[in-house]
Amino acid sequence: MTDCGQADRLSAYYDGEVSEAERASLEEHIRGCPLCAVEIARLQRLSRLIRSTGQMEMSSQALERLHQSLDLQPKIAILHMVEVFAAAAAAILVASVIWLYALSATREASAQIPEWEAAALAARNPSASVQEQLAQWIVEDLSGKSEQ
Amino acid sequence: MATESDRWQPTDVELVNKTRKGDHSAFHELMDRHAQTLFALAVSLSGNAADAEDIVQETFAGAFRGLGAFQGRATVKTWLTRILIRQSARHHRSASKRKTTFVSLKETSHSDVRGPSPQSAADARIDVTAAIKTLGPEHQEVVILREIQGLSYEEMAEILEIPRGTVESRLFRARRELQKRLKEYLG
Repeated sequence: MTDCGQADRLSAYYDGEVSEAERASLEEHIRGCPLCAVEIARLQRLSRLIRSTGQMEMSSQALERLHQSLDLQPKIAILHMVEVFAAAAAAILVASVIWLYALSATREASAQIPEWEAAALAARNPSASVQEQLAQWIVEDLSGKSEQ
Repeated sequence: MATESDRWQPTDVELVNKTRKGDHSAFHELMDRHAQTLFALAVSLSGNAADAEDIVQETFAGAFRGLGAFQGRATVKTWLTRILIRQSARHHRSASKRKTTFVSLKETSHSDVRGPSPQSAADARIDVTAAIKTLGPEHQEVVILREIQGLSYEEMAEILEIPRGTVESRLFRARRELQKRLKEYLG
């Protein structure tokens, strides 16, 4: 290994994965840098060493088993579809229950508000009845919002 | 000279489309085309033929189930390789959970890598495999995809779904590690 500043670019250069300009620049550098020249030689030896481990081939029996496994796939696909539909149905059911619960809670809440309070909380309306205006005035006074 | 049957061989994408239409024989043909390459990659990643066979089976099963998701943006080979890398990682995780007293090459630590024996090709093969296995999974993937499968940085980036720059830096670090561990062979 080398401590040359260009060392981190040598791996990409060795793989032919640098731009044309960088390649030319690195080649010029390597010609004058024995450390980098040694590094390139090591990268070549490492590649040869790794490739020498050889590639195992799949046996004909293994290949046959592979083909047989495909024949089981339609059943797997159906099971998968059933799983997906079951999950979707469960999700819809849960969402419906939550929605119904939220809807009933909203209705209950709105039903519990007395008429005078709803009128008091509503925006000031010049056309409101005397009772409604009185209710608004009381609420504003109690909450310190009454006009000075 | 190309024969009539050579000229009319369907492309991988055509085979995928035929399978989608219910022609299972088209998928069998895809298996025949890619099984050996995928098996070699799986052996390199898993370290043994039995696990590799499982991984290749899971890869094709996953591809078959996910045919609808294949949009043709990548080649079929890239798509299958991507599935295999994921299946291999999944297999590795579940094997790690099952791991008890069984000692295999996968568990060989740096200090277990044997000394130089360049006279013996078999020894070299064992040492190189053990050295690769001591790398982290991300570094193993780039070394194997580059050195054994001969893929470009662009192809690796697509398969691993990482930026090209990350491929480059991982490969650089992985080679550094291997050089340290195999220095007896590299001089």
